[in-house]
Amino acid sequence: MLVFQSHFKRITMKKLKYLVIAVFVLTNTTSCDKEFLEKQPLSEYSSESLWKDAGLIEAFVNEIYSGIHLEFSQVTFSSLVDESMYRLNNTDVNNSLITPSYLSSFTSPGMKKVSWQSLYLYIRSSNLLLENIDAAPITDEELKNQLKGEGLFLRAYFYSKLVSLYGGVPLVTKAYSLNDDFLAERNTYEDCIKFISEECDKAAALLPVVQARKGRATKGAALSLKSRVLLYAASDLANNTSWAGNSHPELVGYVGGNRQSRWEAAKAAAKAVIDLGAYELYKKDPAAGENTAQNYEEMFLSYETSEDIFVKYFTPLTTMDEYNPGLYATPNGWNGWGVYTPVGQMVDAYEMKDGSKFDWNDPTIAAAPYNNRDPRFYASINYNGAKWRKRSSDVIASDPVGVIQTGFYETWNSNTNSVQIIGGLDTQRGPLKDWNGTYTGYYMRKFIDPTVDAEFTKQDVPWRHFRYAEILLNYAEACIALGEDDEAKLYINMIRKRAGMPAITETGQDLNIRYRNERRIELAFEGHRFFDVRRWMIASAAYADAQSVYILYGIMPDKTTSPTPTSYSVKTVENREWNPKFYLLPITIEEINRNNKLIQNPLY
Amino acid sequence: MRFKLFKSGVSIALVFLIFMLTYSDTQAQGINALVRGMVQNTNSEPIADISVSVRNAKTNFTAGATTDSAGNFSFSSIASGGPYTFTFSGIGYETQTLSGYNIKEDITLSLIVQMKGTASSLEQVVVIGYGTAKKETLTGSISSVKGADVMKSPATNVSNSLGGRLPGVVALAPSGEPGNDGSIIRIRGVNSLGDNNPLVVVDGVPGRSLDRIDPSTISSVTVLKDASAAIYGARAANGVILITTKRGTLGVPTVTANFNQGYARPTRLPKMANAAEYATLLNEIKIYAGLAPVFSAEEIQKFTDGSDPWRYPNTDWFKESLKPWSSQNYGNVSVSGGTEAIKYFLSFGINSQDGYFKNSAHKYDQFNLRSNLDAKINKYISLGLDIAGRIEDRNYPTRPNNDLFGAVIMGKPNMVAYWPNGLIGPAISDGDNAAIIGTDATGYDRSKRYVVNTNAKLNIIIPWVTGLSFNSNVAYDKDFYFQKRFEKPWYLNLWDGQSLGADGLPVLVSTKKGYNDPRLNESMEDNHTLLINAMFNYEKKLFSDHALKVLVGTETISGTGDRFSAFRRGFISTTLDQLNAGSALERNNTGSALTNSRRNYFGRINYNIAGKYLAEFVWRYDGSYIFPKNKRYGFFPGLSLGYIISKEEFWQKNLSFINSFKIRASSGRTGNDRINEFQYLSTYGFGAQPFITDQNVENLTLYETRIPNPEVTWEVAKQSNIGFDAELANGKIFITGDFFNYKRSQILWWRNASVPQTTGLTLPRENIGEITNRGFDFNIGYNGSAGDFGYQVSVNGGYQKNKITYWDESPGAPEYQKSTGHPIPTDPLNVNNDLYYEAIGIFKDQAAVDKIPHWDGARPGDIIFADVNQDGIINAMDKVRNDKTNMPRFTGGFILNLQYKGFELSALVQGAAGAVLYSQTTSGEVGNYLKDFYDNRWTPENTDATYPRTFSWNQEYWRSQRNTFWLHKTDYIRLKNLELAYKIPASFSTKFGIQGLRIYVSGYNLFTYSPDLQDLDPELGAGTGRSYLVQKIVNAGISVTF
Repeated sequence: MLVFQSHFKRITMKKLKYLVIAVFVLTNTTSCDKEFLEKQPLSEYSSESLWKDAGLIEAFVNEIYSGIHLEFSQVTFSSLVDESMYRLNNTDVNNSLITPSYLSSFTSPGMKKVSWQSLYLYIRSSNLLLENIDAAPITDEELKNQLKGEGLFLRAYFYSKLVSLYGGVPLVTKAYSLNDDFLAERNTYEDCIKFISEECDKAAALLPVVQARKGRATKGAALSLKSRVLLYAASDLANNTSWAGNSHPELVGYVGGNRQSRWEAAKAAAKAVIDLGAYELYKKDPAAGENTAQNYEEMFLSYETSEDIFVKYFTPLTTMDEYNPGLYATPNGWNGWGVYTPVGQMVDAYEMKDGSKFDWNDPTIAAAPYNNRDPRFYASINYNGAKWRKRSSDVIASDPVGVIQTGFYETWNSNTNSVQIIGGLDTQRGPLKDWNGTYTGYYMRKFIDPTVDAEFTKQDVPWRHFRYAEILLNYAEACIALGEDDEAKLYINMIRKRAGMPAITETGQDLNIRYRNERRIELAFEGHRFFDVRRWMIASAAYADAQSVYILYGIMPDKTTSPTPTSYSVKTVENREWNPKFYLLPITIEEINRNNKLIQNPLY
Repeated sequence: MRFKLFKSGVSIALVFLIFMLTYSDTQAQGINALVRGMVQNTNSEPIADISVSVRNAKTNFTAGATTDSAGNFSFSSIASGGPYTFTFSGIGYETQTLSGYNIKEDITLSLIVQMKGTASSLEQVVVIGYGTAKKETLTGSISSVKGADVMKSPATNVSNSLGGRLPGVVALAPSGEPGNDGSIIRIRGVNSLGDNNPLVVVDGVPGRSLDRIDPSTISSVTVLKDASAAIYGARAANGVILITTKRGTLGVPTVTANFNQGYARPTRLPKMANAAEYATLLNEIKIYAGLAPVFSAEEIQKFTDGSDPWRYPNTDWFKESLKPWSSQNYGNVSVSGGTEAIKYFLSFGINSQDGYFKNSAHKYDQFNLRSNLDAKINKYISLGLDIAGRIEDRNYPTRPNNDLFGAVIMGKPNMVAYWPNGLIGPAISDGDNAAIIGTDATGYDRSKRYVVNTNAKLNIIIPWVTGLSFNSNVAYDKDFYFQKRFEKPWYLNLWDGQSLGADGLPVLVSTKKGYNDPRLNESMEDNHTLLINAMFNYEKKLFSDHALKVLVGTETISGTGDRFSAFRRGFISTTLDQLNAGSALERNNTGSALTNSRRNYFGRINYNIAGKYLAEFVWRYDGSYIFPKNKRYGFFPGLSLGYIISKEEFWQKNLSFINSFKIRASSGRTGNDRINEFQYLSTYGFGAQPFITDQNVENLTLYETRIPNPEVTWEVAKQSNIGFDAELANGKIFITGDFFNYKRSQILWWRNASVPQTTGLTLPRENIGEITNRGFDFNIGYNGSAGDFGYQVSVNGGYQKNKITYWDESPGAPEYQKSTGHPIPTDPLNVNNDLYYEAIGIFKDQAAVDKIPHWDGARPGDIIFADVNQDGIINAMDKVRNDKTNMPRFTGGFILNLQYKGFELSALVQGAAGAVLYSQTTSGEVGNYLKDFYDNRWTPENTDATYPRTFSWNQEYWRSQRNTFWLHKTDYIRLKNLELAYKIPASFSTKFGIQGLRIYVSGYNLFTYSPDLQDLDPELGAGTGRSYLVQKIVNAGISVTF
């Protein structure tokens, strides 16, 4: 203290001057530092560093994968067609009431990744990669090819979604910078298909058959994409543009050329995947008496099968935005939301075990409609009486086994001496979250992991974007169109055999009908049907009013409730209506306002 | 570089410290007698900065003192004897003399003096940028409020105490959540599409908190509304709020203690339908969908008569989940005093707020500490050292407010909150039973923020140049934040509707809800900012009556921050809530950092001729790290002129009843740099989701954050203002009026409206917008008295109307839908949210539907949309832009203060007009409806209805499509503050050694009148009602001065 004091006393008037100067200099120390205002973001990479570093480029490619749409992110394609119904949520879509200014459910979060905006966002990412990868100093040529191949595949994938939804779209293959001319015209449908197909070839040439890390795109994925795209391109919608009128049919389909050659290309594309020899149907040769329903069900719950071509993996921690099929599909009686409820038409499309058609008019069948059905029915549909997972503690006392209850029970109320009707646990009169109860009388079972309590935990079984069965069906469809019925049946029956169903023997148009139903059943809820009913131009039938079943356990003369259902009645549960404009989605009015070169889709 | 900066700060602090330590021995010793006292105005409010001089006529001894912020002064070294004469003088008050006091040894003489104002406010000193100025010579447009007025509001958040008190300042309080209840403040409305927040400067340091400062420590709040803010350069365009804290004054220690206890509740609770009504509406949903109704007439009857409360309850969710009143309290003790050498102001305060829910997990506690020291080392050097610290302790439930209040307002009245036996009821959606999720049953979300603000100031009067002085400030602000969010399952009771026990009573099953396993997320932030500035002030008289004042300075500001968070789940028990108790399998962690820097040079020149002609020029040459090298610096000048006409001879001859009249004009440029930094760089950020390969391997993802804009630079505001200040009737009447014309250009916005999505571009901000904003504000008041009765009335208000004159438009949109020429949209990011279909009624019947163009699928009971372009179809072309937004055009306040003897009554009535709120509750199968809807909806029987038919959520076109039916005016007038106080006469309280004792009751948002919005508070941000409801507070308090 004394030292300080004496020190201070020396600071006299004369020294004051130095003090002021000293302080002023100190405050401006930083002024001498010319880089003081030159900062860099501390938690982001610069463009320069990214394109020099293979690891960072790979991380950039990783992000492009997240541009791929996933079904069951709430609103899902299956509920926008005759597969299921999302309570009363998509009625405007299912009545074809969308317009360029009102896309209804297509603007919901679950549909974000198939939006025009999102697909083009990821196309830009792919373009960025493809513009920079060649010059990138990656010494590992194999890795460089792989990353480039993935970029080509992903861009082709995004374009395939755009073309399926909108027809011909602007093919943007460069990464714009800020002051470019942004106004692009729509390319013709033909150009788009050609582009995607060629890009798939390029990608296939660069990609390995087996990736060191599963989940990345392979040669098989690129060839499968090509198969799907060429099949769609050969189908009725793109080859019969009469529905679109005369304004710009070239944007929504082919206006010339040879359809036969398109079918041949589609066939060849599917065959190319088959000829890779890398895939085979899961448990393709069931033994007599083998539980083929169980085989089919577990295929979607397995982490890896021989049938997988392009797969999306999860971990329970990855909170994939809206993707939570378990919670959404689980019945309210298990505290789920019960939103993907199969409609009556879908359930009725499952054949009888012997390959005959299901028919409510057959009194034997109508009395026990869930007996003796296609094994895939039991693997895909949670119907009244199906045994599923253990109930949660709230209601386990009422149902210790875990059986779906979508029926209603007549019971005798001795207080009032009258019959009262009580709803099953999974109905809209159930004790748990009754407003989540099914409207159709069914719940979806396929893909839903029964080992996970979806109320609390997200399931992490992979989602299959491409699986081998689709390719076989694609191949068969092309064969039928080319009149090669026997070849087609060979492949269709491979799938039926795996499912435990008898072979199909029809030919010609009958075969085509059987094929279409087979595709509907095998690929149920996988996101295909929405596009299939359009390209086959059978949408007016597919958008018939949705049906439900009302199941009643009647009261017996002795005033006890019947232990088995006493009646099934089929009712209309949601009005649906088809308008041909809905073959394709409209380009939003905002986007057309931004770019007057864009031509709107027909009938909008 | 960071180290260097820090080092220079430390060295200055060290120099200061040495000065402080070495100068503590100058205090005079030897007390003969003590004289102390308090100076008050006629309203019994303490007056600071009054000079008190004492003179002994016999010995010619003289001494001086100054009153502190509590009005106290003292002399500690006066010899006994007398007679002594005390003279009290101060700016704005009539000088008063008390004489003939004889002082005895060892006896304390206490004086209470009331001083009469000279009735002129012009003598007041107000704080301006980097200095102070007399109100009389101000040339800029400035509003200010004293700390004492802020204290009249029981709101603990200072930002909620400014609305209605400062003309030209718009304050909207959208939420009442404890610890998060701040107002949105807009100075003269909205001027930019981007960030419109004003710059808050506390004791010279930008970026400190307005919300969380302890109101007891505020000396004044000043708002710079026009180009006089240009001295703050690139951050001044939205206006500047300057807060000055109290400082010590000469005299013995004065202790002031203030405590108040308040009770809060929502201003309004929406009236909801009851169970029978809700069941009726649910049936109607089904009937309109062509399905069978759910509830029979007998069942609905049971909801009404309550005969079966187990199966057919009737729940009022607001009553079940919210407390009638929630406690809040505030306490503060401050000590101030000082000698010529050292003055001090110390303050310690605590405030605490409870949440609305029963057993609420919402709780906010704040601890404040402030020490402001001033040391005078010698004639030339003085130092200041301020340290303020606070702890903000927030406790929240784990569910967000949207879900919490959603669960209440959506609560289904046909479900129980509690079963008749008192056990908690079943899950509504996802376990959200409103009666439990507001409590800590779901875990907790706690956070603590520790803030330290320090200022070290050096002031040197340079002796060898008269009028020159030097100032330097080093401010080091540090804050540390730690958040811990522990989520755990909670348990609800379900009855399956069937099972009865042996006792015949329903069997309830307890079930787990929410989170399957406990999980914990911890996150921390560590930030600091260092500000160093230095400036010279020079004052000189030129000629006979010219005065010149010059200020030049330089300032650097730099900061860094670090973030870190970690997550684990799979806790095997809820007993331990530490990360190490979680599963090692599913865990996650992340971190990031930030940095910033600014440098500038600034100055001010004042020129004053004969006290009549006033001129002020301010400037700042501002540099910011946000922009690219060639766009980094900007020059921001502001010129203002004043002319006090009342000092002219002709005025004094002819218009002498107007005692004072000044006209002012200002014009200048300010800037706005509040955008995300580094828009000029091409960068890649980490994606939110990893890419999974091989079943469970997480791979990092990178995405392009945006494309760069190498030209990005400031938003520029050109601000012009013309105003006048007048005083009449010897200062009893005062009038201030200002007209302003602002033009903001180079507004930083995205070209999303015109750049097609096919580009896939994530656009950067570009300098593309232009906005004008015009309006006026005023303040008129009257100070009167009649005998013991004193009263002050004032009215203030502000009107502003902005218009986009240029920005990015969609080229193909029809003219009537473009936003150019219209006010800034409520949400500029979703500019088309302000496009509405015009609701022109409800289709009475099918004939009405058939008669006019209608939405595809419209049916009786639907809302009619106008066919605006008359093309026979209803589509997006019929949407029309609505010019009203959530920002009121007019805001105002009416202030009334009455005093009678010891009683004081002050009231603030505040109102706003010209804003709208899009308000739809989340109703349908998902949640309950407003009672008003039930009563007035369309049904086939009630076709002349004011509401449409029953809907489910947003499934009708008139729910999903924005239309004017749901647009409500929020015009309101409310009793914002009311305070009734009684001051115990000093003659009485001093007997107990208490100099002042004041007891009071006060209220906040006591009454509200908003004719077009009945169920929600007009300031509430969420039109769904699903947010923390706005507070009403009643409060009682006591303030004691020793």
